[in-house]
Amino acid sequence: MVGRWYLSQKSNGYSVMVPRNTNTVDRRTFLKLTGGSGLAATAGCIGLGGDSGGPIVLGQPAALTGQWDFLQPGVSAATDAAIESINDAGGPLDREVELQRRDTAVSPQEARTVVTQLVENDDAVALLGLFSSELNPLFDFIQEQETPVVTPWPGSNFLDTRGGDKGSPDDLSDDGWIWRTVISDTVHTAGAALRALDQDHETVGVINGNTEGARSWADGFINAYEANGGTVTERVEVSQGSSSYQSALDRLFGNDFSAFAVSLPLEDAITLMSDWADGNYGRQPILSDPLAQQDLVDQVGDPLNGAWAASPGESGPNYSAFESAYEADAEINAWTPPAWDATVVTALAIERAGEATPDAIEQNLGPVSRGGGTEVATFQEGKEALNNDEEINYQGAATDVSFTNFGNVVGSVVINEVQDGGFTQVETISAGELREFVPEGEY
Amino acid sequence: MGLVQNVVFGLVQGSYIAIAAIGFTMIYGIVNMINFAYGEYLTIGAFVGILAAGVLPLPVAALVAMVGGGIASIVLAKLFFTPINETGPVPMLLTSIGLGLVLRNVIRLGAGRGARYYDTQSATYEFTGIPELPVGSVDLLGNFFVTSRMLVVVACAVAVFVILHALLTRTDVGIAMRAMSDSEDLARVRGIDTQMIRNSVWILAGVLAGLAGVLLGIQTNVSVTTGFSQILQILAAAILGGAGSPYGAIAGSYVIGLVVALSTAFLPPDMTGLSSAVAFLVLIVVLLVKPSGIAGQEVREA
Repeated sequence: MVGRWYLSQKSNGYSVMVPRNTNTVDRRTFLKLTGGSGLAATAGCIGLGGDSGGPIVLGQPAALTGQWDFLQPGVSAATDAAIESINDAGGPLDREVELQRRDTAVSPQEARTVVTQLVENDDAVALLGLFSSELNPLFDFIQEQETPVVTPWPGSNFLDTRGGDKGSPDDLSDDGWIWRTVISDTVHTAGAALRALDQDHETVGVINGNTEGARSWADGFINAYEANGGTVTERVEVSQGSSSYQSALDRLFGNDFSAFAVSLPLEDAITLMSDWADGNYGRQPILSDPLAQQDLVDQVGDPLNGAWAASPGESGPNYSAFESAYEADAEINAWTPPAWDATVVTALAIERAGEATPDAIEQNLGPVSRGGGTEVATFQEGKEALNNDEEINYQGAATDVSFTNFGNVVGSVVINEVQDGGFTQVETISAGELREFVPEGEY
Repeated sequence: MGLVQNVVFGLVQGSYIAIAAIGFTMIYGIVNMINFAYGEYLTIGAFVGILAAGVLPLPVAALVAMVGGGIASIVLAKLFFTPINETGPVPMLLTSIGLGLVLRNVIRLGAGRGARYYDTQSATYEFTGIPELPVGSVDLLGNFFVTSRMLVVVACAVAVFVILHALLTRTDVGIAMRAMSDSEDLARVRGIDTQMIRNSVWILAGVLAGLAGVLLGIQTNVSVTTGFSQILQILAAAILGGAGSPYGAIAGSYVIGLVVALSTAFLPPDMTGLSSAVAFLVLIVVLLVKPSGIAGQEVREA
């Protein structure tokens, strides 16, 4: 009888080949195979899967569906491009990086399940995703996982003082395990507030949705705006998913102000701004950063001319490195370059650590991104420098990725204004100008 | 804040809900089940409508969506609900929850992510120069506006009410529906083909869901959650009105619409996001005071 080989077992990345010979499995072969499988399974059980010489798994909780899914294609493409470039350069510790992407639909409940699956089943050593709406309610749960979350998404000011290594990389006891490569709402809402005041809007109204992300943007904007002398005359919070926002608009516009700020997911914002156009309410719209989307302009039409949004800048010191590697058709949005940065800085942390474990990555994210050392633009440059026993300082695509003690970054803000049926970049507010709004000990 | 303006908004919102709630409550009254998959029927109607609108004028596309909704409804009923007609309301309720989940994901897989939009224009008619009648911070009169889109929704709702009333009072099928809603056994004894009446109700509910889906799609967008996001308000309107009563559902829908609009307008600033919750609070209070709902028909086993 001719024996055939087939995959017998897969546990924690290990597969064994056994002869498909139903009549003649001898005792010695059986013991070898079961013993090997047992060892592999045991290794997985005691947590050796991430640092055992095989591929290094990075997890990506993703918005493949749900109300923010329109932003995911660019982020997925940037992450894939970064992983391809990392593997082309030999990979961290000369091992291949594998990405496991799972859909959370930006639901905290689903995110909890996905994080568990990624950490427990997929042996992911770091997570490259999660939104504010997921991180804030799951903050304690994330701490329990003790797996670094390096995410391009969350703007929430809730995280301003909760993440990072608190400036003590070797001491994990005070770590927050969350690092974000996108600037906080605190920074870019400060940019929006600055521009509103520059345009002589001394009073504004605010209308926002009732999710964490929508509230956070509104809170950040109001704080920065009032701190600089502006007055918010009315704030209206609305239930997302409503078929009409006319009552909320009627309430908001019953007050005296010259501009109004809108913070809602795109689809709700299209409904609201269409209602606003129908009602001829007028005044200057200020949009939250996720709303700088062509769909909004297409659906609302001419009344939206002059509306503007302050978005995280897409021009870090090494934006060109990202741009040359990014070949996907997916539109580049404000979260796309931060996704590239999150992947590259995590790979560099693994390389510096010398091992691919969550603790080691957590301890090295700070050292590869802040302070002195050779400035590097890509994983390849960083790997070469580290192999030459140099310290490195990763300079990113979206920002310079100099993580603060709380795991935050500071970057420029761009103003995109609706002109002639599309968003046009009209102004850049530098990171330096915004830095004064984010005190060192509070960000 | 003008009361008249917010009443207008409430009436428009109530009209959306009413068109759908009639179909929902008729299924309850005749088939004796709460159909949690009904939101997906609206979504199917919205998608059929937007596909048809690509090649047909919008009013014709809306008719196509209504026909599509009716066909989808009867097909789904034959596949999933008719075989378990005799098992009682609870298995049918659970089946509908499962069916809704499956439909939502099938639509998501087929239609992909992202919303689609009807290409429509809306004109605004402003009524100015109306004297103010302030009571505290509330103006009982004041200027107001309506849009052509609002007028279309209200007109569609009124047309549905008139046709429904004629159907229920002037046609044999409608009279049989009312008889069966009162007592299926007695209706059968009187020679009514109860299965045919059930089929008619499924088709009618699907037609109304198709229309409501198109109107919602025009007002918001067409996506996998177009109908699902409205199902709780539809359910609340039907229960508030008296489950099984189409006339009660109409009344319940306008109560819900007005409560949502007025609570958004007049709640304290920190509570404006709770307007939907206030609508459900009203539902609870009404049911505590009058458990049978506005139209007086008690909720049965389900």
